[in-house]
Amino acid sequence: MSFLRLLSRNRLALAGLIVMSVVVLLALLTPILPLPDPDVTNTAERFKKPFSERALLGTDHLGRDLASRLMWGTRLSLAVGFAAAVAAATIGAAIGVIAGFYGGRVDNVIMRGVDMLMGFPYILLALAIVAALGPGLLNALIAVAAVNIPFFARNIRGVTVGIAHKEFVDAARLCGMSNARIIITEVVPNVVPVIVIAMSTTIGWMILETAGLSFLGLGSQPPQADLGSMLGEARSALITNPHTSVVPGAMILVIVMAINLLGDGVRDALDPRLKSGALSRPMPTTMVRRTDPVPQPEGDGILSLRNLQTQFHVKDRIYKAVGGVDLSVRPGECLGIIGESGSGKSVTALSIMGLVASPPGVITGGAVHYKGEDLIGAPYETLRHLRGDRVAYIFQDPLATLHPLYTVGAQLIEAIQSHHRTSTSEARARAIELLKSVRIPNAEARVDNYPHEMSGGMRQRVGIAMALANDPEVIIADEPTTALDVTVQAQILALLDDLRRERGLAIIFITHDFGVVAQLCDRVAVMYAGRIVEEGPTDAILNAPAHPYTARLMACVPELGQGRRQLAAIPGLPPVVDKLPAGCAFADRCPKAASACRSGDIDLGPFGPARKIRCIDPEIPVQEATA
Amino acid sequence: MTGYIVKRLISAVPVLLGISVIVFLIMAMIPGDPATAILGSYATPENVEKLNRDLGLDKPLVQRYFIWLGNMLQGDFGRSFSLNRAVLDEVLERFNATLLLAGTSFVICSILGVAAGVVSAARQYGLADKAITFAVLLGISIPSFFLGMMMILIFAVNLRWFPVSGMWPIYGARDLSALISHLTLPAIALAVVATGVIARLSRSAMLEVLRQDFIRTARAKGVHERSVIWRHGLRAAMVSIIPVLGIQAGFVLSGAVYIEMVFQWPGVGRMLVDAILKRDILLVQGGVVFVAACYVLFNIAVDVAQSLLDPRIKA
Repeated sequence: MSFLRLLSRNRLALAGLIVMSVVVLLALLTPILPLPDPDVTNTAERFKKPFSERALLGTDHLGRDLASRLMWGTRLSLAVGFAAAVAAATIGAAIGVIAGFYGGRVDNVIMRGVDMLMGFPYILLALAIVAALGPGLLNALIAVAAVNIPFFARNIRGVTVGIAHKEFVDAARLCGMSNARIIITEVVPNVVPVIVIAMSTTIGWMILETAGLSFLGLGSQPPQADLGSMLGEARSALITNPHTSVVPGAMILVIVMAINLLGDGVRDALDPRLKSGALSRPMPTTMVRRTDPVPQPEGDGILSLRNLQTQFHVKDRIYKAVGGVDLSVRPGECLGIIGESGSGKSVTALSIMGLVASPPGVITGGAVHYKGEDLIGAPYETLRHLRGDRVAYIFQDPLATLHPLYTVGAQLIEAIQSHHRTSTSEARARAIELLKSVRIPNAEARVDNYPHEMSGGMRQRVGIAMALANDPEVIIADEPTTALDVTVQAQILALLDDLRRERGLAIIFITHDFGVVAQLCDRVAVMYAGRIVEEGPTDAILNAPAHPYTARLMACVPELGQGRRQLAAIPGLPPVVDKLPAGCAFADRCPKAASACRSGDIDLGPFGPARKIRCIDPEIPVQEATA
Repeated sequence: MTGYIVKRLISAVPVLLGISVIVFLIMAMIPGDPATAILGSYATPENVEKLNRDLGLDKPLVQRYFIWLGNMLQGDFGRSFSLNRAVLDEVLERFNATLLLAGTSFVICSILGVAAGVVSAARQYGLADKAITFAVLLGISIPSFFLGMMMILIFAVNLRWFPVSGMWPIYGARDLSALISHLTLPAIALAVVATGVIARLSRSAMLEVLRQDFIRTARAKGVHERSVIWRHGLRAAMVSIIPVLGIQAGFVLSGAVYIEMVFQWPGVGRMLVDAILKRDILLVQGGVVFVAACYVLFNIAVDVAQSLLDPRIKA
């Protein structure tokens, strides 16, 4: 049902469906319509123009009524195309199911043959088959069906291989069902939708191809005519009487176009990626739609976020990934953002430079001040000049974040040349220098490596080198050590710490690891469900967490050499950010939750001289907050 | 790299043999005997028998295949009875014309198709995307032979910009400008469908790539959006576009048959259709095997190009 609704929402597909229905209906009704005999020649009436008396579309070179011939020809072309599609789909699917289900040698032999047939330029194969069987409509049908069999066989085989290893097939086998029965009762019902989609996308081709063979004189033989042979016969009169060519040609165009529209619609409706909007391309900057007044800059931070709100709009749902975040970082300072997966820390980081994928991301409120200038909604060129030059990112998983087809050197050179006019040889020297500065051994040779030729730790260093390429003032590191083993992680953290002290970098460090925070960060902000719940100096918070969530999150961390302590998982799950509860988002998982926690928004208020907390019942008295 | 090319060439041998077997078997399926087809239905039984013996048709199937294969490897594709000429000579001469037509078309459809796909993806849901998507739909739905006829009508007959048909002027110099003016319409007509298919697949390949993390990295570096699309995006998308180009080359090569008919282009496709209608089996056999073999070699070239483009493929 939802499939039909989805199809009807696609207006073009609907148009295709309507046109196709009309054509098919007319083709079915042709025998009972009051049309002149399509094959009766009347040379006295030849080449009458369209819209003339007694011949709506005119007549052809033998004086036959074109409208009538068109209807009968359409009927024949549709029937032949459809028959070819059904034949190709049935035989191809049978071959594919057998190859995919039995696997092993059977599969190997069949697929080799299929690959070989697909290696043929395929109209050529159809020509060879027609050459063997002789010209004629049925032979053209066989040829077109035959050349399309490999396509179906290969598609269906792929699907069958997936199904053949599913649990329900194993279950059927354990029940003692024969292979033939499993194929018919378990496999075939699951591949039928795939067959239908494949047919809907190829039937247009098949109609075109049979028409093509007829056009060449190898398909339907006179006086019987399909659309292709009508066009073929009309060719000799193309210049003197073009209407005899235009009528059948336009009909083929209309039919094939309607089928293609419909086929695209069917495919789109069934493709889950399109439903979720996952196939849209992210724009160069995140979309901004702010309605509330923009906050003014305050404080002495080089980069400060004020009430930043970022949402994901997927269909009619709104996910509030970042629900009003305030943060600030000073030169030479390292600020940690910690939270579980999905707490909104990465989205916060990406929002700063407008790098949240959009669609579906939208920044709906707040401001990001860099040296007092608001970056949210800043023109693309402004953002581009700052990106990588003043504010640089280090991402997690450098195998995915480095371009796989360029050498690391080329990518470093590009980073430099995007902001500085330097010769490539100068930039290359600088790239080698950068690689050395992140302690990559043998940098002169490594600069010409591709990312896949390096280890994970090396790639992460390249990521850091790239962030340092233009001596930025702020580095935003989004879990840069998560994918690495502990020793490499320690090296990289030490490296970042050195750089910060040497160059006075401001670092925003995103992680879910308290150990990393303790080692590197001056201050830490704890995020939960898109908001900061606690913020303050690292030592103070680690020694005496005030928010119940922080306390429970820390209790989840095992400590070396401290045995005995019970590891406590937090009961329940974080709330889904499209249905946030009123009041404290953590209330449902908090042992101390009271009714006041759920009644209204709780502010991130001061807690002692240097800390902030979003809780009305802290774990520790405020007097201990300075510790 | 040389090692890789040699390896791919060796792996093509079974494919080529397979093609020869398929073509041979298809031709062997022919009902009735070729000798009757050649001599006509009034031939005497003695003459038919003699011709069958001359053609080697009295021998068993397997033996006939190996004789045929052996002869082909020595460059002997047999003799066309309808043209009274060596098959290979005729095929080579015709193939030159087809290669010129198909090659030009292939260059047009590769460049236009990829460019249209990239622009379409970069402006997803924008005006350019919608216009290109519609043009692509029209392009893949129109039969090339109908398009060719309409182009003749409009650009050759009415506007008189180009000649109606043929490869060379009947009178006048056979120079480059004459060739280009004869080539333009058929090359474009042949390229249209493939351009549409390539544009479509390039668009989706680009959309797939533009969502990748390394594109976000490029943007985070401050790379200009133009470079993000054409340098980072297209380079990565080419990895999945190149195989499509290879497949489309096959379509262009064999689809040339329609265009050759419409434009009276003296290519191998038109030769094949004539040969089929005259039941000149040796000519069909030779032509199909030759073109298919060329296509296999072309596909190896595509694989080599692919390995040059993607360092992750171990050459």
